[in-house]
Amino acid sequence: MNRFLHKLSLTLLAVCGMLALTAAVVLAQAKTPSRVLLYTSVPQELATQFADAFMKKRPDIRVEIYRAGSTEVGAKIAAEREVGGIRADLLWLADAPVYYDLRKRGELFSYISPEAKAIPADLKDPKGLFTAGRLINMIIAVNTEVIPLKDAPKSWKDFPDAGNKAVMGNPLYSGSNFVTVAAFVQKDGWGWFERARAKGVAIVRGNSEAATALAGKEFGIAMTLDYIVAGLIKKGAPLAIVWPSDGAISVPSPIAIIKGTKNPNGSKAFVDYVLSKEGQEFLVKQEVIPVRGDVKPPAGQPSAKQIKFMPIPYEWAADNAPAIREKFEKLMLQ
Amino acid sequence: MAAAGAFVLLIVIYPLWQVLFRSFLDAGVLSLKSYQKVFSYPSYYRALLNSVWVSCATAAMCVVLGTLLAFLVTRTDLPLKKTLRTLLVLPYALPSFFAAIAWIQLLGPQGYLARLVLQVFGFATVPWSIYGAGGIVFVLTVHYFILVFITVAGALERMDASLEEAARASGAGTSQIMRQITLPLVLPAIMAGGLLAFIGALANFGIPALLGMRARFFVLTTSIYYALAIPDFGLATALSSMLVLVALLTMALQFGIQRGESRFTVISGKAVHPSELKLRSLRYPLFLLISAVVVFISILPILSMVLTALMRYWGAPLSAANLTLQNFAYVLKFETAQRAIMNSLFLGAVSATVAMFVGTVISYLHVKAKLKGSRVLDFLATIPYAVPHTVIAIAMILAWARPPVSLYGTLWIILVAYLAVYLPFAVRTTNSTLQQVHDSLEEAAKASGAKLLPRLRDIILPLARPGMIAGWILVFMPALRELTVSILLYAYHTETIGVVVYNMQDAGYREIAAALASIVMGLLILGNTIIRKLTGGIAGF
Repeated sequence: MNRFLHKLSLTLLAVCGMLALTAAVVLAQAKTPSRVLLYTSVPQELATQFADAFMKKRPDIRVEIYRAGSTEVGAKIAAEREVGGIRADLLWLADAPVYYDLRKRGELFSYISPEAKAIPADLKDPKGLFTAGRLINMIIAVNTEVIPLKDAPKSWKDFPDAGNKAVMGNPLYSGSNFVTVAAFVQKDGWGWFERARAKGVAIVRGNSEAATALAGKEFGIAMTLDYIVAGLIKKGAPLAIVWPSDGAISVPSPIAIIKGTKNPNGSKAFVDYVLSKEGQEFLVKQEVIPVRGDVKPPAGQPSAKQIKFMPIPYEWAADNAPAIREKFEKLMLQ
Repeated sequence: MAAAGAFVLLIVIYPLWQVLFRSFLDAGVLSLKSYQKVFSYPSYYRALLNSVWVSCATAAMCVVLGTLLAFLVTRTDLPLKKTLRTLLVLPYALPSFFAAIAWIQLLGPQGYLARLVLQVFGFATVPWSIYGAGGIVFVLTVHYFILVFITVAGALERMDASLEEAARASGAGTSQIMRQITLPLVLPAIMAGGLLAFIGALANFGIPALLGMRARFFVLTTSIYYALAIPDFGLATALSSMLVLVALLTMALQFGIQRGESRFTVISGKAVHPSELKLRSLRYPLFLLISAVVVFISILPILSMVLTALMRYWGAPLSAANLTLQNFAYVLKFETAQRAIMNSLFLGAVSATVAMFVGTVISYLHVKAKLKGSRVLDFLATIPYAVPHTVIAIAMILAWARPPVSLYGTLWIILVAYLAVYLPFAVRTTNSTLQQVHDSLEEAAKASGAKLLPRLRDIILPLARPGMIAGWILVFMPALRELTVSILLYAYHTETIGVVVYNMQDAGYREIAAALASIVMGLLILGNTIIRKLTGGIAGF
């Protein structure tokens, strides 16, 4: 048993030693100028492959990725703000309202990329504080084995009629659902939600859960994001995408440089690559709808120009967020 | 004492204080606004009430199920006891949201078992719903009864057989012995396990998040996540304080009950195994019943997960054409996943070892040395168990991301967070273990002139070893699959298994996440078999 105690104290010693060692390594790393830290909610596989493609082109820059859901990245940033500022150099989230908040706080670095010329004005901040890097779209997904495509609703207006065969994500969890709710309310008031509640439309946590529950035949239609559905279709799920006749909700997924960046040049180079024709073409291969007019959309998908979009009232949504959340909770979740 | 105190202070109190004092701030000014919010919105206090009753129901069911099963596999002549025991512990290696997914796949509206029942009995819909309070309590019970099971099984194994024998020699019947000797003897373990299950259910997020929303049933942890999504830090921490408060009250209650119950805390120094109860004619019927339970709560969920891992996509119809090994191939080739497995194995082993060491010291100070203030230490070390993991992760960033000590972005901040998260397991399990060792043994050694270290080495540790091994496993298994703390604290190259599982799941690739979880499960089974072979069955689960 003495050996047991001995081993334990050795382990503790080793742990302390390694702590010191790592601290030293971290200090050493901080001096390497070519490191760029990217916080993102872009799916891990896509983010990794995209960063690899970039690093092949620019071997002098190393992109390090921290990937998590929007809520987690938001919580991380909020905590970092309290202890000396956001650590990331680059931020690429699906949650557009976050950028309005960051802009208000003055935490974004202004950079107008030469590539941004090819991107429509409504997809970028005029001062270059952020620019859409990809488009993700809230659409109607159909499981054709539950509801034949011809019987599926063609518009958001008809969506609640599917009753308990329809599912949507919770805007209290997911940023893209939140802007969708804001867009609906701004357009028609809360009537759509009252109808959805009365008919029994189900609420699940987020878009990936809505999509997987749909693939699992628990529902016939879902309000969810196009790229998740496209990924499931590629794997063989009997799903289809309906672009609603009253307009898809297109959530730009902006990329921005954080003001405190220690590597502005590396960060700029990455932003340039995201917005470049080459970068966008790479994303298209992964079923992402491009932000540039001169890049063809994925096969079978409409281009940004062909899709009918519903306007999103970002400023209004950001200003009235608590009231919108509260009302939604009262109507749909109680 | 001072060292253990400093450890708890640095790992637990200082980080949590960083969060707590922010709940009293509003734009930098001292205020109770966040707490006002908690009590002015009905949805928040309703969530608090839901949390309390769901956890109570879960703990009660865990105690019944865990104690019965523990008794049957340790103290009777049930066939294949060891195998049954391993199988019962195994599902604890499933991340809790995977447990929820597995049960949706089995009992959900389109679940395998649900469809089977529909076909056999010809119902139109199944007469139960996995979505809602009932489903949550059920899955939480299946997930957490292991905490009672392991602690009680450990206690039963190291029980002093002579007490029972004496009673039997005096003519007491089996049921009388059980009621008057065995049950009081293992009561501290039952209470400790029940408390762990209660607080575990209270702080669980994955299961209520997946099963509650569709029935519009919310608990505190899901509300805390809302608050973080807003993001409203003050509200999130105010809600977390409520959670901690409930947990502390429950603990205080338990401490109160246990006081003055040392009458039965006898363990003899002799290595005599308690006698086996002969089940006689009940032996095989009971075996069948337990096997059915094991199949239902252990094997089916794991099979369901492996099946998911073999599917081309989640929800694909069961047919040969839809089965594939691609997901496994993907995980094995995925560099991040390989790194994550190594990181998690390291973190799990180190945090389990350090937490058990510190936990034992704290418990010894409190239970045996009975030092002043050790009770408080014991109390403080248990707090983080009731704090949602997301809040702990934020606390760690606030505490350890600033110079002079910046651990942020390294593996060490994850380790520190794991130590905070799992120290309570260590403290509670060693506490109940040490309570069973009667003071007289150590006093005798003291009287014979033995110093502290020899006393620990020759008396306490040998007697407490089975309980400590059980405690180590209770930390190692969840640490291996930890998700919520890791996702906020990991950095490039310090990914953990939970991080990869989360990110795959989040992209809609449930089948790839399941493949990784299945590989981890396989590694655990393999590791356990090797350890058991090497130690002749002493270590392992």
